[in-house]
Amino acid sequence: MDRVILIRYAEIHLKGLNRPFFERLLADRIKQALNPVHAAVEREQGRIFVYGIPEERIPECVDRLCRVFGIHSVSVARCVEKDWDAIREAALTETRSFAQTAENPTFKCFARRSDKRFPMTSEEICRELGHELLEAYPNLKVDVHHPALPVTVEIRQNSAFVYTGEVLGAGGMPVGSNGKATLLISGGIDSPVAGYMIAKRGVMLDAVHFYSYPYTSERARDKVVELTKLVSRYAGRINLYLVPFTDIQMTIYDKCPSTETTVLMRRLMMKIAERIAKETGSQALITGESIGQVASQTIESLCVTDDAVSMPVFRPLIGFDKEEIIDKAQKIGTFETSILPYEDCCTVFVPKHPVTKPKVDKLRESEALVDFEPMIQKAISEAECMHIG
Amino acid sequence: MIYFDNSATTQTIPEAAERACLSMTQGYYNPAAAYGAAFAVEKSVTEARSFAASLLGANASEIIYTSGGTESNNAAIFGTLRSMHGNKKIVTTAIEHPSVFETVNAAAKMFDAEVLYAPLCPDGTVDIDRLSEVLTPETSLVSIMHVNNELGSVNDLDRIAAKVRALSPNAVLHSDGVQAFMKVRTKKIPVDLYSVSAHKLHAPKGIGFLYVRNGVRFAGGQIGGGQERNLRSGTTNVPGILGFDTALHAYSEKEASWHVQMQRVKTRLYRNLSALPDVLLNGPSLEDGAPHILNLSFLGVRGEVLMHALERYGVLVSTGSACSAKKLGKNRILNAVGITGARQEGAIRFSFSPFNTEEEADSAAGVIETQLRILRKYKRR
Repeated sequence: MDRVILIRYAEIHLKGLNRPFFERLLADRIKQALNPVHAAVEREQGRIFVYGIPEERIPECVDRLCRVFGIHSVSVARCVEKDWDAIREAALTETRSFAQTAENPTFKCFARRSDKRFPMTSEEICRELGHELLEAYPNLKVDVHHPALPVTVEIRQNSAFVYTGEVLGAGGMPVGSNGKATLLISGGIDSPVAGYMIAKRGVMLDAVHFYSYPYTSERARDKVVELTKLVSRYAGRINLYLVPFTDIQMTIYDKCPSTETTVLMRRLMMKIAERIAKETGSQALITGESIGQVASQTIESLCVTDDAVSMPVFRPLIGFDKEEIIDKAQKIGTFETSILPYEDCCTVFVPKHPVTKPKVDKLRESEALVDFEPMIQKAISEAECMHIG
Repeated sequence: MIYFDNSATTQTIPEAAERACLSMTQGYYNPAAAYGAAFAVEKSVTEARSFAASLLGANASEIIYTSGGTESNNAAIFGTLRSMHGNKKIVTTAIEHPSVFETVNAAAKMFDAEVLYAPLCPDGTVDIDRLSEVLTPETSLVSIMHVNNELGSVNDLDRIAAKVRALSPNAVLHSDGVQAFMKVRTKKIPVDLYSVSAHKLHAPKGIGFLYVRNGVRFAGGQIGGGQERNLRSGTTNVPGILGFDTALHAYSEKEASWHVQMQRVKTRLYRNLSALPDVLLNGPSLEDGAPHILNLSFLGVRGEVLMHALERYGVLVSTGSACSAKKLGKNRILNAVGITGARQEGAIRFSFSPFNTEEEADSAAGVIETQLRILRKYKRR
C-alpha cells in the first residue's frame, strides 16, 4: 500500500484551451518545491499525484506543497488495487488511530468513481465502507452533517485512492504563468505581504531595496535578505537588487523643500525601480502601500508617486487595514522578521511635518531643482544583485 | 578601530586566553575525578576561588561559579524565592538589567509575589532617603544593581544595606555587580548575594560567579552532580575559571591605575564633546559615575543613525545595552530617569577599558563632531 500525495488544482480548472500549459507549469513548480525529496510527480485527469516519498518526509512535503501557488488542497492517500478488499483494508488502516484516540469519533464516507467499470456505484461504496468501519471500530459514529473525519475513496483509471481529510493549499496560480513584476521591499510589514499577494496570481518576482549606508546597519540589510528569502518560499527564485540611496537622499535634503522630502524620495525610488524593472524584463512594479496609512500614502501622495513612472504600479494592499496586513504577514510567516527594530533608509532622516496633500506640478518643480539623472545612473550601476531562493 | 563599547563585552587579555587554552589542551581533567592529575586541576580552581573571594572580602565557600551575569541574577532571584514560604514581596528598581528586571517579573508571576520599585534620583541612583516608602518588615527580596549599565550611576551599597537591614530584617539583599566588580570599590561587600560576570573584565565569556553570603537563605540553581556546594551542578568550567582568574590578577594588580586611566579617557571625551552645541550628559556627574561609562545625548540626531555613521569611521559605540539593542520601543532605563523625547532618541553610551587612550578619545570626538555637523543638517525640521 503506497502512500501518495494527491493534489487538487485551484483556479486552473477554470481554464479552457490553455489549461495544459497551466497544468504543466504547476507540475514544474511542484517538482521544484519537492526537489530535495526526489519524488515522482505525475499529472492525471485533473489531479497531480506525488509518488515515492519516504514515509517520514510526508509532513514536510505537505508543508512544502502548501506554499506552491496553484494548489487548492492536498490529501495524503493510500494507493491500492481497484479491489474491494484492498480498499477496505486501506480505509481501516487510515482510520485506526482516529478511532482509538478521537474525542468525537464521528465520520462520513465519500466516494468518487471516475472509472465506471468498477462494479460498485459511489453510493454502494459509501454504504459498504461505512458498515465495515462501524463493524471494525464499534465506538465510531456516523455523522452525515458534521463528521470529524471524512473518509474518501476515489476510483480512478489505474488505481483506487483512500484518504481522510485534506489540507488547504495557498490557492492562486502557478508562479510564472503571469509574467514578472518588481517589488519595492523596505524591511517593514507591508511589502513582503504585497509581494506574496502578487506572486500568488502567478507573477514571478524581482525585488529592489534601498539602503542608506553607512546610516543603516548591516543587520537592517540582512533583515531584507531574510524577508526576501521568506517570500521566495512561495514565489520561487527572486533577484534582489540592493541600491545605495544615501547620496540621493542627502541631495534631496540639501536642495529641496523640507516638507516634500519623503514624497520626493519615493518618486526617485520608483524611478530607479522602474529602470531596473525594465532592464530585467519586469512588466510592473509592486508596492505595499495602503491608502492613508502614513503621510506618504494619502491619495494625493500616491498620485504624486504614480506620476514618477509610466509602468503600472500594483498595490495589492491598497484597501487593507494595518491589522489585516499584520494578520496576513503572520500567516505567511514574515511578521516576526519584519518587526525587528532597525532603522531603514526611510526612517534615518524624516521631516517632522511632511506634506500630506502634495500636488503633482509642485513636486515636479521641486524635483527639477536638481539634476538627479547622473545620481540615478550611479545608484543603479552600484546596485548589488543577490539571487535568493 | 576605536572600541568604546566595553560594557557590552571586553577583549580577553592574551594571558587569560592562554591560560584557558592550556587548561583545555593540557590540564583538561575533570576536577571531580579521583586521580592525581584531576586533583591538581581541582587545586587550581580552589586557588582561583579563594582569590576571587578575597577581592570581595569573602570566603572561598561563598563563591558559586556560574555561566555569567544572567545566570547569577536568575539564580539569585529564583534561588531566594524558592527558599521562602508564605507571601513574597520583592523590591527592585525600574532600571535593572533585563536579566534582573525580566526575571523578577517572571518570578513574581510564578510565586504570586508583589513587586515594588524603589524611587530613583535623576542621576539613576536609588533615592536612599525614600527607600522607606517601599521597604517593609514583610519584604522578602531586595535586588538593586551596583552600577547601572547604561548610565554608569553607582549605588552606595553600604547605605542601602543598612536601610534594608533596619527596615526589612528578613529580606535577602541581592545586587547585580556585573558593571561594578573591580571597577568601583567592592572590598567588603555588604550584600547577601552579588552577581559577577567575567567577560566584562577581559576574561572569556561563559563564566562568572554568584557570591552567596554564608548563612543566607538560598536554594541554589541547577540540580545534578552536586558541584559548587550542590548549589550549581554542572561540570566545572575550568578553562573559564582559570582564564577569569588570570584576568582578575591583572585587574587587581593595576586596579588603581586602570581606574585612573578609564576616568581620564572618559573625562577627555566628555571635555571634547561638551564643547559642541546641544550635547547633554545623562546620568551622574563625571566624578560620581563609574569610571568606564559615559552616556551623552546628541540632540537633533538619532542615536542609531549616529552610531552607524561612527561605525563607518571605525568608532564602535552603542545606543543602549547590547541586551536591549534588539528590543522594540523606547529605552526603559532612560524613561525611568525622565530622559525622553529627542534627548532619549539621541543618546549614545560610551564605555571604556583601561586599554583605551586619551588619543582615542580625541580622534573619536573628531569623528563625532564631523558626523554631527553632517547629520544635524538633516534633522527633523
